[in-house]
Amino acid sequence: MPDGLQTKPASSKLWKRLRRLPLTLYLGGTLVTLFVVVALTSFIWTPYPPNNLNLTNRLAPPGSSGFLLGTDRAGRDVVTELMLGARNSLYVSVVSTVIALFIGSVIGLSIAGSRQIVQGPLTRLVDVGLALPGILTALVLAAKFGPGNTTATLAIIIWQIPVAARVIIGPARQILALDYVEAAYGYGRRKSFVLRRHVLPNIGPLLIVLGSVMFAAAILIEAALAYLTVGVQPPTSSWGRFLNETQSLLEAAPYLMFFPGVAIVLTALGFNLLGDGLRTVLDPQQSRSGVS
Amino acid sequence: MTSLVEVKNVYFHYPRARISSGSSGWTLQDVSLTINLQSTVGIVGESGSGKSTLVRVMCGLLRHQQGVVKFNGKEISEFEGDGANDLRRQNQIVFQNPRRSLDPRMTIRRSLSEPIRALQDRIPDDEELVASIERVGLGREVLTRFPHQLSGGQLQRIGIARSLSVNPTILYADEPVSALDVSIQAQVLNLLMDLREQLGLTLVMVSHDLGVVSRMCEEIIVMREGQVVESGRTESVLSNPSSDYTAALLKAARAASLERVTGD
Amino acid sequence: MLQLRNLCVTIDGHEIINIDRLDLGPGDRLGLVGESGSGKTMTAKAIAGLLPNEAKVSGSVTFDGRDLLTLNDRELAKVRGKRIGFVFQDPSRSLNPMMRIGKQVSESIRIHTKLKGDAVTTKVIDLLRQVQLPNPETLIRRYPHQLSGGQQQRVMIAAAIAADPELLIADEPTTALDVTVQEEILRLLISLSEQRKMGLLFVSHDLGVIRFVCNQVAVIYGGNIVESGRMEEIIDRPMHRYTAALLAANPGMPKDNNFSTFIGKRLQTIAGSVPAVGKFPSGCRFRNRCQHATESCSTTPPVETSGADHRYLCWNPGGEGEK
Repeated sequence: MPDGLQTKPASSKLWKRLRRLPLTLYLGGTLVTLFVVVALTSFIWTPYPPNNLNLTNRLAPPGSSGFLLGTDRAGRDVVTELMLGARNSLYVSVVSTVIALFIGSVIGLSIAGSRQIVQGPLTRLVDVGLALPGILTALVLAAKFGPGNTTATLAIIIWQIPVAARVIIGPARQILALDYVEAAYGYGRRKSFVLRRHVLPNIGPLLIVLGSVMFAAAILIEAALAYLTVGVQPPTSSWGRFLNETQSLLEAAPYLMFFPGVAIVLTALGFNLLGDGLRTVLDPQQSRSGVS
Repeated sequence: MTSLVEVKNVYFHYPRARISSGSSGWTLQDVSLTINLQSTVGIVGESGSGKSTLVRVMCGLLRHQQGVVKFNGKEISEFEGDGANDLRRQNQIVFQNPRRSLDPRMTIRRSLSEPIRALQDRIPDDEELVASIERVGLGREVLTRFPHQLSGGQLQRIGIARSLSVNPTILYADEPVSALDVSIQAQVLNLLMDLREQLGLTLVMVSHDLGVVSRMCEEIIVMREGQVVESGRTESVLSNPSSDYTAALLKAARAASLERVTGD
Repeated sequence: MLQLRNLCVTIDGHEIINIDRLDLGPGDRLGLVGESGSGKTMTAKAIAGLLPNEAKVSGSVTFDGRDLLTLNDRELAKVRGKRIGFVFQDPSRSLNPMMRIGKQVSESIRIHTKLKGDAVTTKVIDLLRQVQLPNPETLIRRYPHQLSGGQQQRVMIAAAIAADPELLIADEPTTALDVTVQEEILRLLISLSEQRKMGLLFVSHDLGVIRFVCNQVAVIYGGNIVESGRMEEIIDRPMHRYTAALLAANPGMPKDNNFSTFIGKRLQTIAGSVPAVGKFPSGCRFRNRCQHATESCSTTPPVETSGADHRYLCWNPGGEGEK
């Protein structure tokens, strides 16, 4: 190239790199951010106070004065209900995903690092865990401990731990077969060190992606459990229960079910898209990080 | 000549060895050999010969099922506790693929200081690391880099520096230059030769390249399918192989090599 | 038969290859030797039309009178396979693990020849025999993982020559193989080339291997052909300093069992390392690593010739008696 050709300004280079980011990352990121913002805002402000029964204004259609999206059968503002539902989803999903991911990682790493003879059977055990029907577990827990957020969170955790563990075992094993792990043993490092300081950092991107996908699943499961009335109970708001209530209103207010329904779908979709986008972005680095 | 490593009738197989037709499932079969202090030994063979496995058994990273492996007169399995650390310290390995032998998420400084952290329970100061890195012909600026920012040749030098940081008695080099370009190979091989002389190392080099081994190693061990076919001084074995297999290896190596009148 | 003229490949604004001239006559075996980052594989891909989409190409690649660079995808596909065959480095990655050997070899036959049905199977068996595989009748039903590395590579070669190409391009075909197997495969390539009068473009980093197989050689550094000519001439009298350095750095094997003169001898190294793409110096690309560089080297060296067919680009070449 001839000298004297202008170099591109830094801003256009940044723009180029931003343009190359996958669409899923933007879409997912937007939806997730929206969700989190709405959920967090609900702590400091909602259009109406929670549980604001307003029996004179039941089932007001969207666009009625003061009620942007209308009211439900107890007169509660839909927007407020959605915001509070978001808060509940966020709470349950965060707690359950973090705990499940942590425990699942510990289990996955331990199995990957275990002796050849036991690895097979242990992995099969995890598979059994995967095969357990989650909803059934939730129902059993609800029968034993009563419905509520805690039960829902516990059910999600039990459901998701095998998922996390299973996903981690493969890549962890691959890393353990790499030369730098062998080198570490060669200068005296113990297996626990290797798992913590060599394997874990190198599956970082994988964990991030796994986390977002697990989050999406948690949103859906929480909603499903609430829908089945084994999740959080009134007066706490939840999208799932909201959805349940709107079913009996198909004649009186058929539009109502779209609100919680769309909220659930968009949020779960957002996390899935985010996970997909992150995977695409982090993948080229992954081949450098040693996980094929 | 004092013997440093003694291997007697060693058998080894991997935990879930697949038994291919014809072989017995042993990766190493009835292997016996001696490595003398400060000698240079080349282990040659083709794929499946077990040469890489042999190295790991000799330095104690893999436990043999039958036979005896002694380091400095003591059976390897008897090195326990602090002794185990000492065994590791004295036996270091340089690996074939420089990009796979360094953790991509650790800085060079960290990777380089790992052996000392692990075996001597202390964090080496910068001066020590710089001396280490300069000894292999690199500058201090590589300390802050990550592996993906450096070339294969540089990474291999770092791998060598890392192994030497704990002053091992014996250095096992498993195909140390196979993944490198010819011009870089020459640099790294010369480096190994220089370091060996400076530090009085015992060098055991695994290679499939007879030309490289004939320069680097005074003694040679030829392996095939887990067994030692022939061993002795490189000169004698290669000018006058007693085994047909060695002769076949030589012939094939010669065919695809440049002939030189002298080593210069 | 194959002529490269002013072939220039640019990716992302960086010049990857700039070859003024490279020739291969019918039945010739030309070795393209270079280290990693030299552009040798890119050159093979440029000839094959397999460059990445973002690559910009100029110049000409004339094969049997037609410029391959001007052909569209369909025409190029007809040339590839039928008239130019390819063999790559790692056969286990080029063979479909889910497809039987016979089927994979027959694909090329079905696409490029008019044979059908049993005639195809006969031809496949015949090809496998030509590449010296034992029991071809049973082999056609096997899967790749049931074969050794050397056998897999023979299958690749069989597939490559299935449509009787005039030119075979092999990129590091024996690098992943054991040395005894390597010798057999190399001999096979030589005999196929001789019997079929088939040209061979052998790309490798290994001068020893190239010396064994090829009668002509081109040395590539930084995307330029720095020297080319007849094999023995270049080995005996390398003119370009890089060629000479490459030869000197090669460990080689002692002639006449002179092993005692080898032990402990240092190798001659080339200072520095191959610069990254885009970081080559102006003028002669090798000058920062060359012991004989002078001021004139900062401008592009002219093409010199020495005798018939021996071309090199060097201001201060070596010569007879100089090492």
